[in-house]
Amino acid sequence: MVRGSKCYKVLQARGNANFRCLISPGCKAATEAPAEGTILRRNAAPISDSGYCRSFNYAAFSSTKCSQPESCTRIPLNLMRALANRSIDVSSLGASSSVQRTPVCSGSTGLIGSGGGLQSVRHLQTLAVTPTGPKIIKADTEETIEVSVDGHSLQIPKGMTVLQACEVAGKEIPRFCYHSRLSIAGNCRMCLVEVEKTPKPVASCAMPALPGMKIKTDTPLVKKAREGVMEFLLLNHPLDCPICDQGGECDLQDQSMVFGSDRGRFTDTKRSVVDKNLGPLVKTVMTRCIHCTRCVRFASEIAGVPDLGVLGRGGSEEIGTYVENLMTSELSGNVIDICPVGALTSKPFAFTARSWELKSTESIDVSDALGSNIRIDSRGPEVMRIIPRLNEEVNEEWISDKTRFSYDGLKRQRLNEPMIRRPGGYLEPVTWRAALSAVAQAVHQVKPEEMAGVVGKLADAESIIALKDFLNKLGCENTWCEGIGANIDADVRSKYLLNTTIAGVENADVFLLIGTQVRKEAPLLNARIRKAVRNNRAKVATIGPPIDLTYDHEDLGDGTDALIQIAEGKHPFSTLLSKAQHPVVIVGAGVFERSDKDAVMAVVETIVDQAKVVRDDWNGFNVLLLEAAHAAALDLGFVPGVTAKLLSKDHLKFLYLLGADDIKPDDIPKDAFVVYQGHHGDRSAYRANVILPGAAFTEKEGTYESTEGRTQQTSPAVPSVGDARDDWKIIRALSEVVGVQLPYDSVSAVRARFLAVSPNLFRVDELEPPTVWPQSITPRSSSSKIESSPFIKAIDNFYMTNSICRASRTMAQCTSAFANLKQI
Amino acid sequence: MSWRGQLSQIVRELRIHFCQTSSSSDATREFILKNYKDLKTLNPGLPILIRECSGIQPRLWARYAYGVERSVPLEGLTEPQITAKLEELSKYAS
Ligand code: SF4
Ligand code: FES
Repeated sequence: MVRGSKCYKVLQARGNANFRCLISPGCKAATEAPAEGTILRRNAAPISDSGYCRSFNYAAFSSTKCSQPESCTRIPLNLMRALANRSIDVSSLGASSSVQRTPVCSGSTGLIGSGGGLQSVRHLQTLAVTPTGPKIIKADTEETIEVSVDGHSLQIPKGMTVLQACEVAGKEIPRFCYHSRLSIAGNCRMCLVEVEKTPKPVASCAMPALPGMKIKTDTPLVKKAREGVMEFLLLNHPLDCPICDQGGECDLQDQSMVFGSDRGRFTDTKRSVVDKNLGPLVKTVMTRCIHCTRCVRFASEIAGVPDLGVLGRGGSEEIGTYVENLMTSELSGNVIDICPVGALTSKPFAFTARSWELKSTESIDVSDALGSNIRIDSRGPEVMRIIPRLNEEVNEEWISDKTRFSYDGLKRQRLNEPMIRRPGGYLEPVTWRAALSAVAQAVHQVKPEEMAGVVGKLADAESIIALKDFLNKLGCENTWCEGIGANIDADVRSKYLLNTTIAGVENADVFLLIGTQVRKEAPLLNARIRKAVRNNRAKVATIGPPIDLTYDHEDLGDGTDALIQIAEGKHPFSTLLSKAQHPVVIVGAGVFERSDKDAVMAVVETIVDQAKVVRDDWNGFNVLLLEAAHAAALDLGFVPGVTAKLLSKDHLKFLYLLGADDIKPDDIPKDAFVVYQGHHGDRSAYRANVILPGAAFTEKEGTYESTEGRTQQTSPAVPSVGDARDDWKIIRALSEVVGVQLPYDSVSAVRARFLAVSPNLFRVDELEPPTVWPQSITPRSSSSKIESSPFIKAIDNFYMTNSICRASRTMAQCTSAFANLKQI
Repeated sequence: MSWRGQLSQIVRELRIHFCQTSSSSDATREFILKNYKDLKTLNPGLPILIRECSGIQPRLWARYAYGVERSVPLEGLTEPQITAKLEELSKYAS
């Protein structure tokens, strides 16, 4: 990193006030050059883990400067893994920020300010919150050791591997099998470095750094060794980059640019391997496999399904499923990202686009309530694929298969023009004006008490508040959100949010899961619980429908009996719970729709009270919401109001369904006027009198709140179809036609309205922790009696939960492939 | 204290905004601790949305029939004063 007498970053850093040198104490790189020999190291976030951005490759290994400007966006994000979550604690390095951001490589010489990688303009304001800034590693504490990398000595925490030490020194080591979230395999040998006084090059990912080690990463020996490894890897690797879907974002391709030879010495025929059938999601081309075993480790460590394994030895080594078997995990798509070559690729995406033609948009997933961070890759008006974005606090770097593969549903069954049902029963496409005035006419004919508004699973906060204000202005209080139960009370946030937070769940040691099938309701939360089970030996007990959770758990029955026993202290589990240091109770969707919900919740509260699940420094009481719209709808108070007569649905004469598809057509009175606003011609569209086409989450900028209370926004990646409009705009227009005009004309004005209703929704990308009130402040519901009926399954088929999935062919294929399997 | 019981006849929704930590919201938090249970018991159907957000000014919002809203800032008020404000809000004829 040092050139002549000046670090070349200094040149780059001029004028960038945020830049600070991480190693040299008094160095202000922007103004003065550091002393010779100072190692400058980049901040934690942008260093890639599995590979490098291509430009970085050239820079790292040919000591040229990166040609990419700081604003470079061409780098495949899945190559970018943050140093932030290596097995070492980055905060101990002092190079972390309290604001977690998705890392974006900023080119090899890009400088990242003290706040950790800064990505989009939208994040700018929020980033200013509490950046802790990089600090100097304390050299004098006991936990650090001194090693030298390429002649520069540095202090690193004890327990790091050589590879991590090199990273601290700013030296990128090429690697295939090493992955910071998986166990160390050390079988690709690409990460060879030279260590003084060892007879031969060592695999740095598997070698612990020892005091006084002299590591050399750029000697001719190292280069030669890596070139040798590369040549062996390429022996049996087919030359099919032009037709390989990984092309352009392939670690092997990238690293062969540096270490590959321009001709081969191998004259035999290449080995052939039978492709495995892993199901409708993951395509395999097993000749491309380099046996890094990342996929095997992912399946058994993270996904918790021991379906993949290594068969054979030496030249006949193969990755496979032992017996003809599908990969039965709802996280299976992640092996596509994790495979460094094109052996595992996406089946639905196969041969549809090359990675460099795609436009990437950072967005948020809406298929469950976790709000996974995603990147939508689109070409023209079409969503081509969805891949994860890194967010340590939410989805790490994984997403569920439903998130990843249901996008093809966005192209089918779309509502693209307003329609009115004519007397013959057919739907006639009309103009917006005609459709809105038809609704207005219907509104004027009914009394406020006879109206109702229902919010569906995928609604954004903007449309929810618009609908609420609209109905309120008409005098209607009859509003509810589907899938969350009729008698929900939205007064206190801590009673319906995941208080422990998704990341916080990892620290727990005893879990009680009530009426929830976490694996289906929130697969990534399940992966976190699995992590706690693996790391802390957490004990898990479930009360609810039996399910394979991918880790050991005790099934306490599916009814409320065990629950009452635990509350009474008669159950052996109650001692376990009260002895736990970090107990977690999660109430899931199986409880919401019960008629005795209040009574069940009262029992849960007793348990929470007795076991001290909520303490000053730990809140272990959680409600796991089911759908993306729920948290925002509750925060905005989209619940039955004072004058609501919810139970007698028969008197309803006007029903406004904002993407609500689960309401049974039979439950709607025959003479009711039904308005359906949504993006898919799903169930409720068949009953609608007027259809108003809205935009899907990939087409609008919508605010969503996750089940832990984190406010996030989607961004439009593709244009909306046909005549469809943003949802809040439709309601705004309708309000004007009806004569109760809503006071906002722009999306920022709608968001300003959040400030008056639930200000936390205004704080995008932030988690506003709910206040914990003593239980005594809520009046105990006295009336209802607890029933012993079993908790229902909130989700029967993981792959078919909302209107987008139901229109998706891939999800239908998954249903037929996996439906008969018990696991999912 | 009869206005408390009458609350849900005039007010359609109450919203209390405050900050989780700042001292300007202390009185508001105390108000909630002391009065929420009573208010909720007397008006079981009335949504009383308790919404926290860091760094905001505490404020009491009342929504009346037909979407009319009024609000009062609570900064600098004591707990009894907040109660008085609520009583005031509850007496607006909409
Ligand atoms: S399939 Fe991919 S991830 Fe799995 S061992 Fe082969 S190269 Fe590695
Ligand atoms: S990365 Fe070290 S052996 Fe594979």
